[in-house]
Amino acid sequence: MHIAEGYLPPLHAVAWGAASAPFVVWGARAVVKQIRDNPESKLLLGAAGAFCFVLSALKLPSVTGSCSHPTGTGFGAVLFRPPVMALLGTIVLFFQATLLAHGGLTTLGANVFSMAIAGPWVAYGVFVLTRQLGGGLIPAVFLAAALGDLATYCVTSVQLALAFPDPVSGVVGAVAKFGSIFAITQIPLAISEGLLTVLIVRLLSRVSPAELTRLGLIKSANPVVKESVA
Amino acid sequence: MLALDAIAYSNRWRPRHPGEKALLALGLLGAAVALPPWPGALLTGSTAMVLLLGPAGVTLRQVWQAVRVPLGFVLTGSVPLLVAVGGSPWLAWEPSGIPRAAELAGRAMAALLCLLLFATTTPLADSLPRLTRIGVPPAITEVASLIYRMVFLLLDSARAVREAQAGRLGFRTWATTYRAVAGQGGAIFVRAFDRARRLEEGLALRGYSGSLTVQVEYQAVSRRFIAATVGLLAAIVTVTLMARVVMV
Repeated sequence: MHIAEGYLPPLHAVAWGAASAPFVVWGARAVVKQIRDNPESKLLLGAAGAFCFVLSALKLPSVTGSCSHPTGTGFGAVLFRPPVMALLGTIVLFFQATLLAHGGLTTLGANVFSMAIAGPWVAYGVFVLTRQLGGGLIPAVFLAAALGDLATYCVTSVQLALAFPDPVSGVVGAVAKFGSIFAITQIPLAISEGLLTVLIVRLLSRVSPAELTRLGLIKSANPVVKESVA
Repeated sequence: MLALDAIAYSNRWRPRHPGEKALLALGLLGAAVALPPWPGALLTGSTAMVLLLGPAGVTLRQVWQAVRVPLGFVLTGSVPLLVAVGGSPWLAWEPSGIPRAAELAGRAMAALLCLLLFATTTPLADSLPRLTRIGVPPAITEVASLIYRMVFLLLDSARAVREAQAGRLGFRTWATTYRAVAGQGGAIFVRAFDRARRLEEGLALRGYSGSLTVQVEYQAVSRRFIAATVGLLAAIVTVTLMARVVMV
């Protein structure tokens, strides 16, 4: 859920930019170091960023009758880890603003915080926790993608509520207002994204197990099918 | 090709230096967001619209197609300002929310038009390599440039896969639609990394040393354009602040 260009007051836009900056700088330093040590990784990072952009452009059927798009942040975080996603997500959000007019440049900081930082960290945390608790790959991927998407939506609602508090009940009431108005599309979308990500992981474990193994998602060839059967 | 990118390559301001267009569009954007919405948003938004339809040569239809989706977010996001919660009754109409919602919608619309002024006149291929001059590390601009180049190839792949799936009735039911979309996701993943690997091999054979040097077309900076931009921005700021003083 992108906050549109010019939607946030200037102080909020600057504050969210400042809040996002350390994470993006951390990600940028990690990427620069990775490229210095291994120049070939630049091409793989380019592929990863392009994949995230195109994944977020896929059309999903929506309960409201139109279509919606997955955020791709949960799957991206599981594949490429949150620090790298902070940078890749920032680049993707910049491209979405300038190539699609989705989001914006003044709201880039806020969108980065919700979609490239909060969403990926929640998704990655849920994925690792589910795996450590003995959960299978498929439930872990579903929960990571769905809860990463929900976290993005919740953080965006808080960002909007902080900018436009309710005159009677303040920020808390505004969170309820913004949360409920966007929940109509965002909660079904989170479930859809979870299901879609599961289907993609099942497909990739059959057609591209080596790549998933290299990215650390699976340990051996075709474990999804084994785990599903088990 | 994406619609905004296609316009960016074909508009009348295409030969201008990206810095000139960035100063104008992003200067207007900053003014639209920082100045009081009335009359700041009206001035910046109408200026951006006139520049888009006039000198830049973008059509009204292209502008409408670009603003439709974000406009939906702005209008939906303005609705909560029209109601108050937590009082008695719990959900009540909030008359003071109308001017706030109008200001918000006006500012967002003006800012959106300023963003479009930049997006429809400046291809990213022109601006990305120049970001190193404002302190962005070359490694980051190169990754961004690679993403930019691969995005279009992958979008074409996704479109081709989607058409093939549609031809096989892949979107007949919700279940088949999900399977089809997952197929598109899987296909772009495989193609993205396959392309990266082939690019890597090709570069290695050409003695790749870690730097992707691309030719950046020389574009002269017009001092007249810069002076006119600064004058325009100063005029908008002055008129807006004077109007606020008169209104108070």
